[in-house]
Amino acid sequence: MASRPFEVKPSDCSIQVKGLTFAYGSDPVLKDVTFRLDQCSVGLLGPNGSGKTTLLRALLGHLHIPAGMVSTMGFDMARDAYPARRFIGWMPERGGILPGMSGVAMVAYLGELGGMPRTDALQRAHEVLNYVGLADERYREADTYSQGMRQRLKLAQALVHDPAWLFLDEPTAGLDPRGRLSMLDLVKDLARDKGFGVILSTHLLADVKAVCEEIVVLRQGKLLDHGRVDTDAETRTAQFVLEGFGDVESFAVALRARGIEPTIEERQLVATTDVDSGPRLILEAASASGYALRRMQRHTETLEDLFFQLVDESGDEAAGVLGALTGHDRGGH
Amino acid sequence: MPVYERGYRSWEHSGGAGTPAWWAIARRGITDPLKSRRFLLLLVVAWVPAIVKGGILYFTFKMGELSKLIGGNWTDISSPGFRSFLEWQTPFVLIILAIVGSGLITKDKAENGLALYFSRPLGVRDYVMGKGAITLFYYFCVTLFPVLGLCVFGYLVTNGATGMDMLLLIPLKSLVYCTISGVCYSLVLLALSSVGTRTVFVALWWVLLFATDGLAEIMAMFAPSLKILDFPGQHLNMGVLFLGGDGIKGVAPVVSLLIVVLWMAAGALVLRRRVRPVEVVS
Repeated sequence: MASRPFEVKPSDCSIQVKGLTFAYGSDPVLKDVTFRLDQCSVGLLGPNGSGKTTLLRALLGHLHIPAGMVSTMGFDMARDAYPARRFIGWMPERGGILPGMSGVAMVAYLGELGGMPRTDALQRAHEVLNYVGLADERYREADTYSQGMRQRLKLAQALVHDPAWLFLDEPTAGLDPRGRLSMLDLVKDLARDKGFGVILSTHLLADVKAVCEEIVVLRQGKLLDHGRVDTDAETRTAQFVLEGFGDVESFAVALRARGIEPTIEERQLVATTDVDSGPRLILEAASASGYALRRMQRHTETLEDLFFQLVDESGDEAAGVLGALTGHDRGGH
Repeated sequence: MPVYERGYRSWEHSGGAGTPAWWAIARRGITDPLKSRRFLLLLVVAWVPAIVKGGILYFTFKMGELSKLIGGNWTDISSPGFRSFLEWQTPFVLIILAIVGSGLITKDKAENGLALYFSRPLGVRDYVMGKGAITLFYYFCVTLFPVLGLCVFGYLVTNGATGMDMLLLIPLKSLVYCTISGVCYSLVLLALSSVGTRTVFVALWWVLLFATDGLAEIMAMFAPSLKILDFPGQHLNMGVLFLGGDGIKGVAPVVSLLIVVLWMAAGALVLRRRVRPVEVVS
């Protein structure tokens, strides 16, 4: 409780989680979660109730962890959570506004609580409020802010003490399309141009695609896997719906001979293949088998499709989908 | 203005020491109510008994026998006289702490502010200590500080004739008594504040707690030992231990001290259970 001197940011900015298990009472929320993150932008994905917020709270050192280890920037969060939190900025999903304060007073106050000298905190509060676009509204009572302004204010308070990592819990929740894009611009700028590590917990895949380099996918408290977001993943592979006249079976054999595994659905064939070379191979197979191809419609698998498939499946099937989602081999990290 | 035009600068540390978290919380909580003129007026009104007592002390020493016309504890400059003065301040303790303390934790919980606090390098102890310092300060404002002021004033008026009693012993006894009592009031009020999410209900419970004064009086007609239910009464009765005078009949001052300690423990226990870095799901 003594005066807290300034500490230099740690050289190791990684986050490591090993065998993390946590339960609320007898209800398990996180089960043997293990991963390592280097300082970059990470999307924490999962359906509601998958344990995203609980995982963030574990990374903040808010939980008494019965099994496993959480290390943030070299600090063991079971023992050294306080010093570690000086280098973490957290934007909670719900609430997160201190009533009865103006925007600048709230941000400066939380800066002081983050270990900053009073004058530094006040000066910095003005700077970050300007950065998030609240310069004109900074003296207004935070209680009167609109939802968009509240989200920006929460981002400002997470930034004020200049942390190494930002943990953002659903930062675009409740925002209109313009507000959402503006918030994503800010997060993207922080992650890509300002060198912050960002963990973006969301169920909106478009947000992850816009901002993140890596994703961590949770389902029912289990880590399905984690890897880099391949922005080409959705365009490299595509499904083609094929219709025509002729012997479907021999057409399927011809496709298989060219490395394409089709599925026959009524009178249609559905083939998943490479976007660039696939159409040529399909035409070759049709020609070779004497199949009169009448229709070849491309159906691109989006990140959303893959994600929904992933969280609905289990075991090896999910692993296969994840490979397509992240565009790299499992166990890359 | 687009993001890239606004710029972002990393924090360049000025070299100054950081503020201790509990003090940052306390300072903010203490200065905030002072921005209200009504609250300032209330504080001035709370000092009226001290000003009146000071005036009477002055005339007592200047006019001698005339002071007998006033009588009572107003002219008493011994320890029990100051204990009586603290008893007169009880309504101000009730009102001012209700205004200052009811929302201290309630508002934070209602807006999920606890999550913000505990995402910073501070613990539950810092938080409670900071909030407790706010209520303790305002408790001192209407109890200890007027007593200290009166002691200095009395010492000056009598040209030091009261000796060390007025300058050292009474202030020390008052400090000990007010600290124990103030910490108890603070912990209980903060505990109430941590239970609810509506300030008005916390204030209501606080008023009800002080209403046990009258309630215990009625119940004591049937069983005198029920006077231990008188919450503010136990504080005053405990004061007999430090400042002397007459306490509650049938309840030993030591018992009152134990009851006050029990209230403190109960308050601390509630705070320990209720103040956690847990997100409020509404």
